[in-house]
Amino acid sequence: MMKIYPIIAAIGLLITVISVLKKSPFFNFIGLLTLIYGLLKSVGIITAPFPAQVMTMYMCMSVFSLFIYFSIQESTFDALLEPMRAVLADDNKRILRVLIVFIALPLFAGYLTFDKVKPNYEPPVSARIVHPEPVSSIEFRGKPITIIGLENPLRKDAPNMAKNLEAGKKIYYQNCFYCHGDDLDGRGHLALGFNPVPPPFRGTDTIAQLPESFVFWRIAKGWRGLPAGSTPWNSAMPSFEDFLTEDEIWQVTLFIYEATGNKPRS
Amino acid sequence: MADVSPSKSLIKGVIKLTLFLGIGFAVLFILNKVLAAPTEDGYRFFPVIGSRVWVWVIAQLHLNFAAFVLGVPIFAVSMEFIGWRRNDERLDRIAYDFTKLFTLAYTLTAAVGTILLISLPVLYPKFIDHLMKILGPTWWVYVVVMYVETLVCYYYFYSWKQMKGNKKGKHVALGGLLNIMGMTMLLITSAWVGYMTTPGGVSDTGELINRWHAIKTYMWIPLSLHRLVANVVFGAGIAAAYAAYRFITAENDEQRAYYDWMGYTSAMISIGFSLILPGVGYMLGVEIYTFNEQMGIQLMGGFFAWLWVMQAILIGAILMFVNYYLWISLNKMPGGERYFKYVKFLFIVNLLSYAVWLTPHSIALSLEEARRMGAYHPVLGSLGVMASKNTAVVVSYMATFLSFTIFKISNKEPVVSWAKLGHAIRAFVIVGSTVAAIAIGIYSYMVTSAVRVKILSPIQFGIFFLSIIILFVLDSMMYKGAKIIGEPKWGKMPERSQYALIGITVTFTWLMAMMGYMRSGGRQFWHVYGIMKDTSPDAYLPTHGYAAVVSSIVTVIFFALIGLLFWSIMKLEKASEKGGAKT
Repeated sequence: MMKIYPIIAAIGLLITVISVLKKSPFFNFIGLLTLIYGLLKSVGIITAPFPAQVMTMYMCMSVFSLFIYFSIQESTFDALLEPMRAVLADDNKRILRVLIVFIALPLFAGYLTFDKVKPNYEPPVSARIVHPEPVSSIEFRGKPITIIGLENPLRKDAPNMAKNLEAGKKIYYQNCFYCHGDDLDGRGHLALGFNPVPPPFRGTDTIAQLPESFVFWRIAKGWRGLPAGSTPWNSAMPSFEDFLTEDEIWQVTLFIYEATGNKPRS
Repeated sequence: MADVSPSKSLIKGVIKLTLFLGIGFAVLFILNKVLAAPTEDGYRFFPVIGSRVWVWVIAQLHLNFAAFVLGVPIFAVSMEFIGWRRNDERLDRIAYDFTKLFTLAYTLTAAVGTILLISLPVLYPKFIDHLMKILGPTWWVYVVVMYVETLVCYYYFYSWKQMKGNKKGKHVALGGLLNIMGMTMLLITSAWVGYMTTPGGVSDTGELINRWHAIKTYMWIPLSLHRLVANVVFGAGIAAAYAAYRFITAENDEQRAYYDWMGYTSAMISIGFSLILPGVGYMLGVEIYTFNEQMGIQLMGGFFAWLWVMQAILIGAILMFVNYYLWISLNKMPGGERYFKYVKFLFIVNLLSYAVWLTPHSIALSLEEARRMGAYHPVLGSLGVMASKNTAVVVSYMATFLSFTIFKISNKEPVVSWAKLGHAIRAFVIVGSTVAAIAIGIYSYMVTSAVRVKILSPIQFGIFFLSIIILFVLDSMMYKGAKIIGEPKWGKMPERSQYALIGITVTFTWLMAMMGYMRSGGRQFWHVYGIMKDTSPDAYLPTHGYAAVVSSIVTVIFFALIGLLFWSIMKLEKASEKGGAKT
């Protein structure tokens, strides 16, 4: 199925080239939109396809922007509208009018309606928020801890840094790597059992964007501690306060930053 | 309409304002007697739509009108001043037209303000009691300033024709006073909102400790600055929409030429000031983070993250409209056709920047999509972060500035001997600053967020501002005494260009409503964050869809009222013309 999209892009390019040679803004418009659609969908061949919502946003933006571009000069704008005017008004285009206005468009609208209302067993789309807002304080095994402004106390303990990192590594491979991966890339051997899959720690867009207090909170409380204001979270993260001590959580936090070359947000 | 004598106008202003306040207090008194007592925790309920939505709609409408009447005088008086110093009648006329707009809008502002004045104490008596206890004296200062401002405003408008010639200086000074009053009102209202969102000067239980600290909160100055700039942007936008409306309904070429020029001037003021908005917005964000990191994360990356995507969509659309308007305007410039070859490149740059800017980081996904994508999409995950978005914003603004530049120089030929060198310097500055902004954007991925936020992003914006200053100075020198190919053919614009101006203003208004919701929603279930809880049935955040619907309804109502204002102005003008006195 994916292989059809480069062909669509090629058709779009062909229409664009021919319409430029023939000086037809209308088909240039159609060709460019087809090209953009084909290219965006072709991303799915190399990596994960763009989600439907992002596709909709990009295509709406393209239609809006191209319409802007083709209406700058009077002659281009007139030529853009001319085929539409002709189909709607010219006497010699009656058959085309019937085909487009009275058959193709109603059928298309009918298809869209059917697609919307047909029985569907997929759960509804959810607006997933990657970084929930942290709570101001938590109770860790009955002890109140203020999360906002909290720093990793082990970072100040320079003489024992290597020891703490080693301990953190051990904790990681005993508890976390099943889901978050041997290489901390979110591809643990249980990862595909979850939907969505667990986040990676590598890269610049997860723990690199967060202060360590946030990571401490997430490890300690897991899915149970997520704020109700922005559900659903779709998280299966356990509450590690049931299994690890406060120091152990700081040690593993130290390790995941060190191992991925990331620095906590300050 | 301007044939009322200045002294009579003062009486008219006092009567009108007193009438509104009188009605407000009288209705408040009656409603408090007639309505059932508030609930134990201090609420009454507005029928059908609920108290929150009612106050939300009225407050946003009032804010829109207030933004308009506080923003327009800033540039109206500036133009009157420049017109006076340069002895330019056309500038004086446009300043007068701007003044006509905001003077008439005062009545609508006061009317909506009166409804808000009644609604808040009736529906939220306990909360308003608390606000009065903490910030009560500022309210009375507000009333006094409001009176002075209304009087100055009426006198300023109705004395326009009498205070010409050697009295012009005094008239301009009066306009200055009007702006001082406006800014004072803005500072007072920002103090109220600042206290609600980032409170200070009170104990944990809400007892007043220090009133000045309750006024001087984290949010106070940055919010005031943000509003001040946004008011000018918005006010000029409305003036542009007015000019567009008058252009479309113009009956002769003279009117079309004037309103075309007015629309262009207003739109450029609006967009020019909007360049400062990201900077002051950034400052506001830093203050919110400093006050409470939790609130900062929620507003920037948590529940409200989607509204930033909405903001990007809307601002991107505004920039497209602005560029479109400028590109179309090349058609009316003799020599403009020479620059059309650059338009396609500017369009591509704008389109790509727009695409990056609106790419969301948090994406609405079906389970199947989430499974295929993982935590982040490899492409979208990189485009949806601040490093790329800041770069896209800077590049997009640079392209827009270039569109403005080519419009400005399109009917001129430089005559200075170093013109070729000047063109080369211009190309170097444009390419150099764009490459630098993109390079910094790429480097931003490799550093900690603190370095990106505190050092690299300000440098990116700094490069942009520095390059536009250099280009501005360079062009001023290069085109001094330049050969004019022909004067702009004002009025020779297709009607669709005017819809772009209206589109800019509608989008601004919608954006203001969405951002207003976001600023208010940041408090979550608190009337005063961390001090006074909202215990009403509305103490939850509505869905973004619901908030978007309310914001859209507010925008529609606002434009219906603005339409009424434009219609009234035209009707009054016609009546005045029939009466023999031209306005």
